[in-house]
Amino acid sequence: MTVVNPMLEVTALGKTYSSGSEKVHAVKEVSFTASSGEFIAIVGPSGSGKTTLLAMLGALLTPSQGEIQVNNQQIERLSAKKRTNYRKKNVGYVFQSNNLVPFLTAKENLLLISTIGGVKKNIAQNRATQLLEELGLSERANALATELSGGERQRIAIGRALMNRPDLILVDEPTAALDSERGERVVRSLIKEVKQRNVLGIMVTHDLAMANKADRVLEMKDGFLNELQESNN
Amino acid sequence: MLALKELIRRRLQFSLIALVITLIAYLILMINGLGVGLNQLAGSALWKLGGNAIAYAEEAEISIIRSELGIEALNALKNQPEIDHVAALGYLAVNIGGEAEGTNLRSAALLSLNLDEQTTIEMPKIIAGRTLQSDNPEILASTEFLKDSGLSIGDEVLIQIRLGEWPFTIVGEVEAGMFFFQPTIFVDQLIWQDLKYGERVATTPIASVVLLSADNFEKLEIEGIDIVSKKEAFANIEGVAGQQSTVAALRVFGYLIGALVVGAFFYVLTLQKEAQLGVLKAIGASSTYLFFQVMTQTILISLIGIAVSVPLAWGTAEGLSKLPTRVPVAFEVETFVTTSIILVVMGIIGSLLSGSRIARVDPIIALGQQQ
Ligand SMILES: Nc1ncnc2c1ncn2[C@@H]1O[C@H](COP(=O)(O)OP(=O)(O)OP(=O)(O)O)[C@@H](O)[C@H]1O
Ligand SMILES: [Mg+2]
Repeated sequence: MTVVNPMLEVTALGKTYSSGSEKVHAVKEVSFTASSGEFIAIVGPSGSGKTTLLAMLGALLTPSQGEIQVNNQQIERLSAKKRTNYRKKNVGYVFQSNNLVPFLTAKENLLLISTIGGVKKNIAQNRATQLLEELGLSERANALATELSGGERQRIAIGRALMNRPDLILVDEPTAALDSERGERVVRSLIKEVKQRNVLGIMVTHDLAMANKADRVLEMKDGFLNELQESNN
Repeated sequence: MLALKELIRRRLQFSLIALVITLIAYLILMINGLGVGLNQLAGSALWKLGGNAIAYAEEAEISIIRSELGIEALNALKNQPEIDHVAALGYLAVNIGGEAEGTNLRSAALLSLNLDEQTTIEMPKIIAGRTLQSDNPEILASTEFLKDSGLSIGDEVLIQIRLGEWPFTIVGEVEAGMFFFQPTIFVDQLIWQDLKYGERVATTPIASVVLLSADNFEKLEIEGIDIVSKKEAFANIEGVAGQQSTVAALRVFGYLIGALVVGAFFYVLTLQKEAQLGVLKAIGASSTYLFFQVMTQTILISLIGIAVSVPLAWGTAEGLSKLPTRVPVAFEVETFVTTSIILVVMGIIGSLLSGSRIARVDPIIALGQQQ
């Protein structure tokens, strides 16, 4: 696949955590490009730096070295305010620990992000209903986040990431708490979203079966990133 | 939306905070009520009488105890075009007891009325019995006096003054309040002269001070006479200045402690929610948006606290007024309004503290947060 105009361009990206005198080089010299319409899987052993990389792409974490360009915009050194805006406008992020607002219902958790993003109420309502349907959670719409099962929470977290139709969907282990049938359904939803709206999706997973549904699979090992395979479908 | 939903869904937590705020507001209201109550003890009679200014003898230096004014002074005042109305007012601290053996002596502030002079300055309102007859040994007693002494209209009393005892009859009840921390009683001006000076000759003073209603009284220059506003006269009542500064200090401390407690509570609440605030930031919520949520909650909770504490304080004052002994707690609408405003402002200042905390929350904590 030749990349015509990459939506995402990562160059020599590195992250070093320093806790006390100890330094952890979590991400080292990572470079890759990706274009809109692509659905990419990142696999790799625990502690290899997958979450760290994803967090830098989502501007939650500032890189120690290197550059990140999204839609020709340099994002790694933005001010806190601009990073908030970037997260709000461009990114849909699913955290490894799904982090819903506990005192809101499933549906309210979805609507919240539209309120923050300034999306019109009726548009948000329709979108929330549609996503709940797609993720198989219509029945649980009015349950409080604390009343949902781990898998249900994870699916709501995915719904929340998709609510505002972001151009960059970053998903950290979305299927960890799901059985294979529900996991597959979630991944199909993600792929459909990416293809339909021609956006970029990056999913971290340890499940090779899920990874194989992606256009490309990248592997992280000890902080380094390698292309595993080109799309086989 | 977020702020309200949180209030409703975590109502136990927020009710407890509202309870603390209610108690703080109640405490501050009671301190203020004490201030108002003490001021009423000091001189509510002054406000119940008409007029807007008071004339003293110059050498008395605004002390009603020392001031003495004769008929010439009263006439000089009457002749001023700026002065619309005058009323001579005599004052005397007396001890008074019931006719019966063993009745306790109690102090009272004896004030004089001039029954001959038709004055349009408002005089104490008679709520029971009748008014005084000139030159008769009769008194009008304030409601406060009757309540304190247990006496009633028709009772005989003895006024002790200058080593003598003078018999009087209570003929009416007036709504006149307190003066010089004592309940008031009223006698005719001639009787006051007898009691205070033991004689009535041409040079006997006819009053301690003169109440007057006048525009621009500040500009008046009359020889031998000082004219001040009622407010200034009140502040010059012996003992009032010290009392007011004590109450003012209590109020300031009340507000400070209130601000600290309210601020600390919302700050702790913010600290507890830090993880959740981090997640909201990670999904794109700005610090301003989050601060607005905290602010909304603070203001709402403060308002709830006030809404509960105001009737509570008012009810307490009502309850206390029914006690046989006088507890100086009283409220004016103004007390409630200013206290409420100050409490809300304190809450806002407290939430500003949280605001700086919110600004510093790093969205990265969303990555590590397990629900
Ligand atoms: N805040 C931090 N401070 C210090 N070290 C950290 C911090 N966060 C992560 N690390 C370390 O960085 C390395 C990469 O962590 P990361 O969370 O990116 O791994 P991961 O690939 O997502 O692992 P997993 O599959 O278990 O989620 C690990 O060795 C981890 O211990
Ligand atoms: Mg991880």
